[in-house]
Amino acid sequence: MKIVVCIKQVPETTNVKIDEKTKNIDRRGLGGVINSYDLHALKAALDIKNQVGGEVITLTMGPDDFAVSLQETLALGADKSVLLSDRAFAGADTLATGYVLGKAIEKIGNVDLVLLGQQSVDADTGQVGPIIAELLQVSQVTYADKMIAKNENLLIKRNLGTVEQEITAKLPLLATITETINEPEYTNVVEIAKSFDKTITTWHAKDLDLEDSRVGQAGSPTIVCSISSPEKVVKQGHKLADDPVAAAKELVAALKKQNVLAEDE
Amino acid sequence: MDQKQISKEILLRMVKSFTTNEVAPFDMEIDHTRSYVNDLFNKIKKYDFLSTMLPKEYGGAGFDGETTAAMINEIARGNASLAVTLEGHFKSIDQIVKYGNQALKDEYLPQSKSRIIAFSMTEPSGGSNPLGIASHAEKKGDKWIINGDKIMITNGGLAEIYCVLVKTAPKELSFFVVDKDMPGFEYGKQENFLGLTGVPVGEIVMNNIEVDENHLLGKIGMGKEIGDSAHNDARVLMGAVLTGIMEHELNIVTDYATHRKAIDTPIIQMQGIQRKIADIAVAKETTKLLYQKAAWLKDHRQDYEQEAAMAKAYGSRSAVKSGDNALQILGGYGYSLDYPVEHLIRDARAMEIAEGTVEKMRTEIALIEAKNRA
Ligand SMILES: Cc1cc2nc3c(=O)[nH]c(=O)nc-3n(C[C@H](O)[C@H](O)[C@H](O)COP(=O)(O)OP(=O)(O)OC[C@H]3O[C@@H](n4cnc5c(N)ncnc54)[C@H](O)[C@@H]3O)c2cc1C
Repeated sequence: MKIVVCIKQVPETTNVKIDEKTKNIDRRGLGGVINSYDLHALKAALDIKNQVGGEVITLTMGPDDFAVSLQETLALGADKSVLLSDRAFAGADTLATGYVLGKAIEKIGNVDLVLLGQQSVDADTGQVGPIIAELLQVSQVTYADKMIAKNENLLIKRNLGTVEQEITAKLPLLATITETINEPEYTNVVEIAKSFDKTITTWHAKDLDLEDSRVGQAGSPTIVCSISSPEKVVKQGHKLADDPVAAAKELVAALKKQNVLAEDE
Repeated sequence: MDQKQISKEILLRMVKSFTTNEVAPFDMEIDHTRSYVNDLFNKIKKYDFLSTMLPKEYGGAGFDGETTAAMINEIARGNASLAVTLEGHFKSIDQIVKYGNQALKDEYLPQSKSRIIAFSMTEPSGGSNPLGIASHAEKKGDKWIINGDKIMITNGGLAEIYCVLVKTAPKELSFFVVDKDMPGFEYGKQENFLGLTGVPVGEIVMNNIEVDENHLLGKIGMGKEIGDSAHNDARVLMGAVLTGIMEHELNIVTDYATHRKAIDTPIIQMQGIQRKIADIAVAKETTKLLYQKAAWLKDHRQDYEQEAAMAKAYGSRSAVKSGDNALQILGGYGYSLDYPVEHLIRDARAMEIAEGTVEKMRTEIALIEAKNRA
């Protein structure tokens, strides 16, 4: 099976700062790490490869230093990597990112399965996976929480919070992966050195069959007008009387006072 | 970024996450139970931490001195014992790489991926003074017969391979490599040490252990040189351990002083507290620069003996003093066994003795200073 895993390098800290001008994440001075959900997606891909054989290719769009994260995926067991790097890609929102990634997956060719993390920890949209699936016109399964290959199909359990759904999906397929699906391994120290025997290919805009208007800032309809943290609201609780009749009276009075119940009810 | 920088970055990303998830949460438990709980030692083996600086031709990752020290620093931020267990192994590998004959290297270096190697000089009759030792080796035909008793060995009991210092003549010191599986090898008593309690420190007894000529490390009579070399390599890494201990101290005190209030002011706003925190921060950064410089010199094949001694001599005293400051900032909690500060002082204190006492290191630093001016 030919599996592509899309990964994103995100700032290392949980204390993300926003650039006042661009309203984007200020990445200056921050170390990068692989988006934690993507590590689960990579592990899921390696598990499937273990089960049925095949090839795992990791793919990212970003500046040249994202190659560190691709190298890390090679040390973790991926077979090869593709870096999509071009000034023209800068300023892309989820739509323009999904477009370029989708075009790259087309170019890789004969891909059976595309995996992504369910969302990225810095932007938290969860949109890129579904956008790629639309572009490639393949079925998509979001929030995959368990995945087993069985006779050309994948048996997938989706975790939708309050509901679980078990489905059988036909290939080719795109799935986004939860963080409870598996326990990713740490990078093996010796494999880091060995990973340099594998290759990372870089593709620029001209290497892909792209429409200029759908790439980078030009292809990004999203405009971030403002960004703010929700204010911390400290709410005070109130314990009602122990006696049920008294408690009921007290509760009705309180609800009337808050205009939840009308005075005459 | 070149291949070296990328490898370093990937290694440190991994070690940071490993330390945060697998080591730091168990720091107190490791100290209290005197063991590597959370299956830590097996995890260390599984992810090939033991091969970090082992040359690639023997199956290692081949990281340089600077990167290896940075890794030790990061682990020590979570737990100093585990960092010292690795330090002891790495400095021993270093000596086999530097002094071993090809047959010895081919036999033991690939094994060092999963078997710990220890370095043992100290005996009941001699620590700072190597000529005070009683262990000896005698040549019989083409074999050497080794007898003696070695104590206070870092990783003693956990390690399976030992570089041992013995006399080959009354005033002649030499090193041999012995294996726990050789007839005549026995483990002895474990030390009941004050700090670094996760590290097993123990004794080995050698009764007529017979080894081939190729188990000689370096040449006959090179005992002092090899011992000094091991000290130098160990001291660079101990500078890194001590930096990690001070980073741990800083994490604790800044968090505590930010949240603890006197009346309604966080105590971090008070000058007396600020001075203590600033002193810890300066000592941490100084020790870090010292060990990094020593490691850089080592990687660039220049003398690093003095910088290594400075990193350990300055770093160990500073980490103990910083620990005392940290204890004071936490008040009664600092003095409690239920809080981590007190064990950081005990941990740091070991490094004023192990790998050469601070007194001996001051002598060395001063003599190098004089030699450089002669
Ligand atoms: C945690 C830990 C781990 C250790 N691991 C190892 C190990 O892996 N392998 C190993 O071989 N040993 C190890 N040791 C032993 C350590 O190397 C010795 O304890 C150390 O060398 C001092 O020797 P000693 O204890 O015999 O003290 P002594 O040498 O008897 O020293 C006693 C005192 O005299 C001072 N003194 C001695 N000689 C001089 C001098 N020339 N100038 C000035 N002052 C002097 C010392 O500074 C000290 O204050 C370890 C010790 C500890 C605490």
